[in-house]
Amino acid sequence: MTNGKKLRLRPAAGIKTALIYLLVILVSFIFAFPCIWLVLSAFNAEGDLLTLEGFFPEVYSFDTFRRLFTEINKYDYPRWFGNTLFVAAISCVISTMLVIAVAYTMSRYRFKSRKAMMKATLILGIFPNFMNMTALFVIMTQLHLINNLWGLILLYSSGSTMGFLVQKGFFDTIPGSIYDAAILDGASDLRVFVSITLPLSKPMIVYTALTSFVWPWADFMLPSMLLVDKSSWTVAVGLNSLDDSEFSIFAAGSLFVAVPIVALYIALSKYLIQGGAAGAVKE
Amino acid sequence: MAEAMQKAPKGSGAFAPYQVKLSCAFMGLGQLFCRQYTKGALLALLEVGFILFMAFAGAENIVGLITLGTTEGVPIMGIAGDNSVSMLAWGITTVFLILLFALAYYANIKDVIYTARELRKGNPPKSFFESCKELINGKFYFLTLTLPLVFVCIFNIMPIVFTALVAFTDYGGEIVPPRLVSWTGLQSFKVIFTMSEYIGTMGKILAWNILWAFGSTFLVYFGGLGLALLYNSKCLKGKRFWRIFPMFAYAIPSFITLTGFYFMFCDSGPIVGMLKDWGWVSENFTIISYDSRWSLRLLGFFCCAWVGIPSVMFLATGILSNTSIDMYEAARLDGANGLQQFVYLTLPFVLFATTPVIISTFINQFNNFSIFYFLRPETVYAPGYFNANSSDLLINWMYNLTVENGLYSLGSALSLILFAFMAVFSLVAYVTSPAYKKEDTYR
Repeated sequence: MTNGKKLRLRPAAGIKTALIYLLVILVSFIFAFPCIWLVLSAFNAEGDLLTLEGFFPEVYSFDTFRRLFTEINKYDYPRWFGNTLFVAAISCVISTMLVIAVAYTMSRYRFKSRKAMMKATLILGIFPNFMNMTALFVIMTQLHLINNLWGLILLYSSGSTMGFLVQKGFFDTIPGSIYDAAILDGASDLRVFVSITLPLSKPMIVYTALTSFVWPWADFMLPSMLLVDKSSWTVAVGLNSLDDSEFSIFAAGSLFVAVPIVALYIALSKYLIQGGAAGAVKE
Repeated sequence: MAEAMQKAPKGSGAFAPYQVKLSCAFMGLGQLFCRQYTKGALLALLEVGFILFMAFAGAENIVGLITLGTTEGVPIMGIAGDNSVSMLAWGITTVFLILLFALAYYANIKDVIYTARELRKGNPPKSFFESCKELINGKFYFLTLTLPLVFVCIFNIMPIVFTALVAFTDYGGEIVPPRLVSWTGLQSFKVIFTMSEYIGTMGKILAWNILWAFGSTFLVYFGGLGLALLYNSKCLKGKRFWRIFPMFAYAIPSFITLTGFYFMFCDSGPIVGMLKDWGWVSENFTIISYDSRWSLRLLGFFCCAWVGIPSVMFLATGILSNTSIDMYEAARLDGANGLQQFVYLTLPFVLFATTPVIISTFINQFNNFSIFYFLRPETVYAPGYFNANSSDLLINWMYNLTVENGLYSLGSALSLILFAFMAVFSLVAYVTSPAYKKEDTYR
């Protein structure tokens, strides 16, 4: 849009336009094809990966979906789905509140050990997540939170606060004079936060809520370690336990995980682009 | 705390009324004698609680941390011995609590010095209600940071300390509870650096890991930037529609995408099947097998690009929309062509604005666990590698060592080495980045 490339009515410009369209179509195809393949595979009448004729199924049917929701002793997909939704929704609410509060505090206040905390966050962030896993497993066992969805929620909520730097970057762009004026008018710190900062940072809150919903929704590592019983599994663990003879079940189960997220992302793409950029742009 | 510090002039060691001495002796006593009854009682209760904790569990935990258990359990005979691993965990927790208590003690003395000074000046001591109000108003940060800090201590710092300590024990392999674990010092590091199967595997994996990190960062970053510019071209109509396609890749959880790609490229999948049907490859052709080197690595680069490019693209799109039109207008009046505008205006701006993105992409790619975990589900190891595969990154190797094979102390030692390397790298990169130096620019 703002990329001001020269565009005049010349043959060269026509070729350039054609090239751009060609490229865009090619890129779209590369991104769309695996998705289309997965969607169509979900409607394969046979479950096995080998029954595909070339890329696509020979016979289409809704049988996979019926099996997904009825063969509960084998897959228990409805339960996995419910577990995932529960963990993701509650983690989303808690994480969003924590991250916004921490980021705002780090951006607005100057106190001892602030810079040290930011450096420490950065260092902790590098530590490969699963290296803590043995330790986390021991700790969660001691706290009796194995096979417990609330244990996962705790981990996601505390983990997401470590990612406050993006939100802090956003709060840094709110001019300090707004706060000074409000303080002069006698507003308390809590009041300033609730009635000035929050309304100004709506895009950032949407961004935070979305990203902190998606992490638990799509995560595989933590649930695969902490959820041992099949009945407490999330969708990621459940679907990953299927091999290529149950490929259609995997494809069908994936649809219900991916479609809501894709729809959410497309609907909220404006916030996503703004939010990510606001945290990154620094001068 | 901070206020007391500022108001107390330096070198005020001589200022020690009896309240301060009392508070040094027992938390809260001094506050009681300053007529701050509620605060004093709460602080005294805290110390009583701490002493009780130390007497009944804490001291034992510290001893346990040092010995890691003395009686070995024999499950068959019903003898419940010491569980070294949980003793390690509780020992660390106790050390944390002692440190926290020391901090509270320090704050308590600071507080009573402040109050005693105010009393000497003839000001009345603050009531409990006033102190609470001050907490909400003057020290708002204290309120918002406490809970996250506690969380981070328990679920981020504790596990790291635990892992770091495990590197100096012989935990793992045969030695897991009920057998007793003991401290072995630098033994694990010695094993890694001297035993040929470890050092050989590490050398090979490290070389591939560095190649992977640079290659995939380059691919994802410039791919994303290129796509953002492509979708930003003036002559492209229906931008919102075209952007939906990369949005798919951005939104679909990566465990689905990567497992999907695995199914697509595996032996029974359509790609290999079609290549065989057309007679382009021999019958035993595979892309993903236990010893496939470059085919799987290339597939890794492809999947990484598919999964990673959209997020950089959306970031770059957001940043590009912040560039000022005036700049380009001026450049055009001066006669700059499209390429010159890109090289001298767009690229420097975007590179500058996204330095943190490059750093974080590099770190993520260096530690990209999921790509090769999902692309190669079988745990069969390649010849010439110890518990690893030719396409595995260091992080996959650590996973194989610890989670799959239970060699905890070796895996921990390895992760410490890797961590030291990454920490220095990214700290230097972060501290020298403009984002850190000039964070107040917009104020």
